[in-house]
Amino acid sequence: MTLGSFLLSALAVLVLLGVGQRVLDRMHLRDRTALVLIAAMFVGGLIPDIDLGLVRVNIGGALIPLGVCLYLLFTADETAERVRGVAGAVITSLAVYLLGRVMPADPEKIVVDPLYICGITGGIVGWLLGRSRRGAFICGVLGVLLADVISAVTVWAGGVSQKLVLGGAGLFDSVVISGFLAVLLCELVGETLERLARARGVAPNPQRVKMPERKNRK
Amino acid sequence: MKKLAGALLLFFLLLPIAAQAEEEVYRILDGQGNEITQYHGEPEAGDEYIAHDNQHYVIARVDAASHTAMAEGKGAYRLPDVTWLEDDSQAVSSGQRSVALYCTHSDESYEPTDGDSSLTPRGGIYDVAESLKKGLEDQGITVYYDDSTHLPHDSAAYRRSRATAEELLKNGVDAIFDVHRDGIPDPGQYETTIDGQEASMVRLLVGRSNQNAAANKEFAAGIKAVADKLYPDLVRDIYIGKGTYNQDLSPHAVLLEFGTHTIEKERAEQATRFMASVINKTLYGGISGAAGKTAETASGKGVWTGIIWIVGLVIVGVAVFALASTGGVQPAMRKIRDNASEMTGGFFDKKNKK
Repeated sequence: MTLGSFLLSALAVLVLLGVGQRVLDRMHLRDRTALVLIAAMFVGGLIPDIDLGLVRVNIGGALIPLGVCLYLLFTADETAERVRGVAGAVITSLAVYLLGRVMPADPEKIVVDPLYICGITGGIVGWLLGRSRRGAFICGVLGVLLADVISAVTVWAGGVSQKLVLGGAGLFDSVVISGFLAVLLCELVGETLERLARARGVAPNPQRVKMPERKNRK
Repeated sequence: MKKLAGALLLFFLLLPIAAQAEEEVYRILDGQGNEITQYHGEPEAGDEYIAHDNQHYVIARVDAASHTAMAEGKGAYRLPDVTWLEDDSQAVSSGQRSVALYCTHSDESYEPTDGDSSLTPRGGIYDVAESLKKGLEDQGITVYYDDSTHLPHDSAAYRRSRATAEELLKNGVDAIFDVHRDGIPDPGQYETTIDGQEASMVRLLVGRSNQNAAANKEFAAGIKAVADKLYPDLVRDIYIGKGTYNQDLSPHAVLLEFGTHTIEKERAEQATRFMASVINKTLYGGISGAAGKTAETASGKGVWTGIIWIVGLVIVGVAVFALASTGGVQPAMRKIRDNASEMTGGFFDKKNKK
């Protein structure tokens, strides 16, 4: 590998780590917890998968993101938020599965890369259901994992014993990228629309609203 | 607002039905209206095309009604210099030579010999990949070949094969190839004769939606340069399309399309033997060992373009997010500073140091 190739690959990893840390930070986690989690996703992606016969689970690409989703669901302030998270994940998984089935498959025909479509779907569903970044992350991550399970079940039903690999590409898997992208999209769309609404005077200005302090952060 | 959200959700679930594309072949035309090539699927404005004669085109507009795309000519594409191929006196390359192979679309087959264009769970494409593996091994290259299936044949297959590609890359390979076949109905688009053998031509496909796009494009150009010298009819063309094809994982990743579904599989298998030699010489300079001269110098330029691309994307992305969330330049700058401090867990925060 040349120096340039190494730098390019290293830069891509660093950017993904940076984006991931910022995204996890939005999940109301401590800064350092976010840093540790993103490092764990990276390292977890490098160690061997957990082999469960027909299913293989990557630690960094599936297990840790799934753990973050469960943490977000269990620590949600309201039951309604949990319901929205689960419903959003189911809707996202169905949309991702259907999009995967009907969007052009051949390389020459691809319009929006399947890698990004999951995150875009998760972000839109998450925002529509609750304008929540935490919801968007849950939709992005659980949506892709569930879509992969649906797809595997349909293949198994056809008599093909194809291995289901969850999060196999570690930090670079569509599960992780989808979760990050969903949060970023939700934030960008949400912030922009709220700003436009405030400019029209139909939404409160947050600078004039006293927000409760987040006690779990340093 | 709830009604709007409900309507949007419904629309979003119905979107896949609207997104269903027709099976179609487009004709790509130059400025004079002459057909440059046929293309299975709808090209996108901005796609690039390097023709068999190395003329470089960029798709300017697409007319869905007439199934044509107008391409703007950019002149001859400057392929990497491969005059070293004529010099057989260079030192033999030492060290590990390894590449990786996999097949994203597991069902792809060749109608005349396999009986159908799509066979589950394993299509004829695995025979072609196996043949390429053998050809590369005959050249002294270690081949990491993962013959996992990624069914069904849909766009999500690339997400499933991503894990396969990432796993293969852990072996520290010099390049990774995703083996496919095209879907153009006309076999004449790919049939050729090389060294007196009936073979298929090969299309090289590069994705332009990722940071490695420039490096992979130059790598593909290196392969074509060597092929043009050794087997002038082997590489049909290079298409630089909108997808990623998991090429964001490596700056030496190319999608290879061995023929189309209407040709005999034997032609594709024959092409793999020539392609194995071309890949060997591109990466390592062959037995005379120009030691990766073509691949290194070719993708070197692209690599630096990729680095600039990433840095630019980060700057633009950070600026857009900061402005969207604060609404002003000063608050945006403050937010960027705060975020930079938070990202390091406060390690570099002045307040923390006190």
